[in-house]
Amino acid sequence: MAPGPRVRNRLATDSEGSVAKPPDRAGRFPAAAPRQASPWHDLFRFRTQTRPDVEVWVGIVAFVVVIAAWLMMTELEVIQPQFLPSPLAVLQAWWGLFQNEYHLDIGISIGRVWLAFGLSALAAIPLGVLMSSYRAAGAFSEPLIDFIRYLPVPALVPLTLIWFGIDEGSKVALLWIGTFFQLVLLIADDARRVPKEFIETGRTLGAGDWALMKDVLLRAMLPNMVDSLRITLGWCWTYLLIAEIVASNSGIGYELWTARRYGKTPEVFAGILTIGIIGLVSDQLIRAGHRRAFRYLG
Amino acid sequence: MPTDRSFIEFHQVTKWFRDPRGGTIDVVEPLSLDIAKGEFVVFVGPSGCGKTTVMRMVGGLEAPSTGAITLPGEKITGPSRAKGMVFQSYSSFPWLTVLGNVRFGLKYRRDLSSADKDRVARHYLELVKLTPFADFYVNRISGGMRQRVAIARTLAADPLVLLMDEPFGALDALTRERLQQQLLELQKTERKTVIFVTHDVDEAVFLADRIIVFSARPARVLRDLNVRAELPAERTLEIQETPAFRKLRHEVLSLIRDEEERTEAAELAAVS
Repeated sequence: MAPGPRVRNRLATDSEGSVAKPPDRAGRFPAAAPRQASPWHDLFRFRTQTRPDVEVWVGIVAFVVVIAAWLMMTELEVIQPQFLPSPLAVLQAWWGLFQNEYHLDIGISIGRVWLAFGLSALAAIPLGVLMSSYRAAGAFSEPLIDFIRYLPVPALVPLTLIWFGIDEGSKVALLWIGTFFQLVLLIADDARRVPKEFIETGRTLGAGDWALMKDVLLRAMLPNMVDSLRITLGWCWTYLLIAEIVASNSGIGYELWTARRYGKTPEVFAGILTIGIIGLVSDQLIRAGHRRAFRYLG
Repeated sequence: MPTDRSFIEFHQVTKWFRDPRGGTIDVVEPLSLDIAKGEFVVFVGPSGCGKTTVMRMVGGLEAPSTGAITLPGEKITGPSRAKGMVFQSYSSFPWLTVLGNVRFGLKYRRDLSSADKDRVARHYLELVKLTPFADFYVNRISGGMRQRVAIARTLAADPLVLLMDEPFGALDALTRERLQQQLLELQKTERKTVIFVTHDVDEAVFLADRIIVFSARPARVLRDLNVRAELPAERTLEIQETPAFRKLRHEVLSLIRDEEERTEAAELAAVS
């Protein structure tokens, strides 16, 4: 290429007819790197990207290392089994739990999380958008929300019990309170980050307030909003465990706490792993959905 | 003096902002100006002089502090489809394809059926020579192409006036040159009234029927140059080598240069 001003083109050249060459899956451009090091070598180079499948393998190695270390410690009886049961004992406990209708507990817990999370999102999305769009809504609700969101959620447990009793209501209420006030600020922030030019473009093309919110603001903020929702869903699980431990006779948290009461450490481990797996799977599912739905970002 | 040839009229327009430290900052001094229909007017001036503010007031995106701007007789009170705007930053919507973006310019037109909208969108896409890229998302095309998308989208909305805020400012020199020529090409058929803000003097002389040179802030018209009287209507790249072009270029450049030196001297005096 002739020397000259740096061309800003990222993918297509500006000359008509020459079609853009897409980057490969790792986001690198064809023949961009002067020398091709092996992807395994790239792992150890400062600020260097490597192939995604290589990264997955490294992630798997991490799990294998942890489980192997765990196995070794229990086999050599470095730690007593009531503190650290062997992986096999945990698997057995897990099996036992499922024999005992553990799937119902899992279903109940997931149901509680999604119900509360859904209600929280349903309220937070419109309010957050309004807060960023109209100063009246923002100035009115921001100080109040800021105050409430600094209250530690466990401090509200007694109150939710007084108000909603020990039934489902109190659990959903606790989760809702725990996430709504955080989520609404995240959503308002996502809306605020939409470039001013997008809004002004919409206006000069004839869009009114409602059309701007629907056709421009919401569409522009959607990818970031889904990320905000994903993060908040993780917090829901934290508060669910609190709610189920304090007052419940079903759910993953209840089973976990019951196991502890009877000193069944393998079951405690099985419970913790269950939560971890559900978290990991739902997070990855949302991420995959995000990539598919917002392919235009790539 | 409003004549029958005036299309956009500035009536003693001023703009000031409230200074957070107290007092006010004058951005635009009482400004009276007439722009004729179909005229290509370029605003130039030292950076931060308020030329963009003047244009944004025409767009209805900012309100004058006093005075009024009228667009065929009617006072401008807010943004609307009549005042199309192309921004410097890439304002094409990433969630839409190239065609989708151009079609967005027609979204709020009630005078067209859905089929008509498709037809008009494809027409403007063809005008900016982006038909082969119709189904590309805008993140997949270059900056120059994105600005063409923005121009096509704005034209599709059929505005009375086209406002362009340094639309080629972020592009490399060669792309900018090509887009300037394409814009003039478009003007031959579209005949829009254009207000174009730039800090690139070559670009100003090359494109303009008329150049308004603004002073440093608060903006005041330093000179109103009739470029059309000096240069042929047909603008080619070769024109940039002619004495008439160079003379205009020199005139505008020295006005801005003097103005910038004057402000710098004033700032220095204020500091010491």
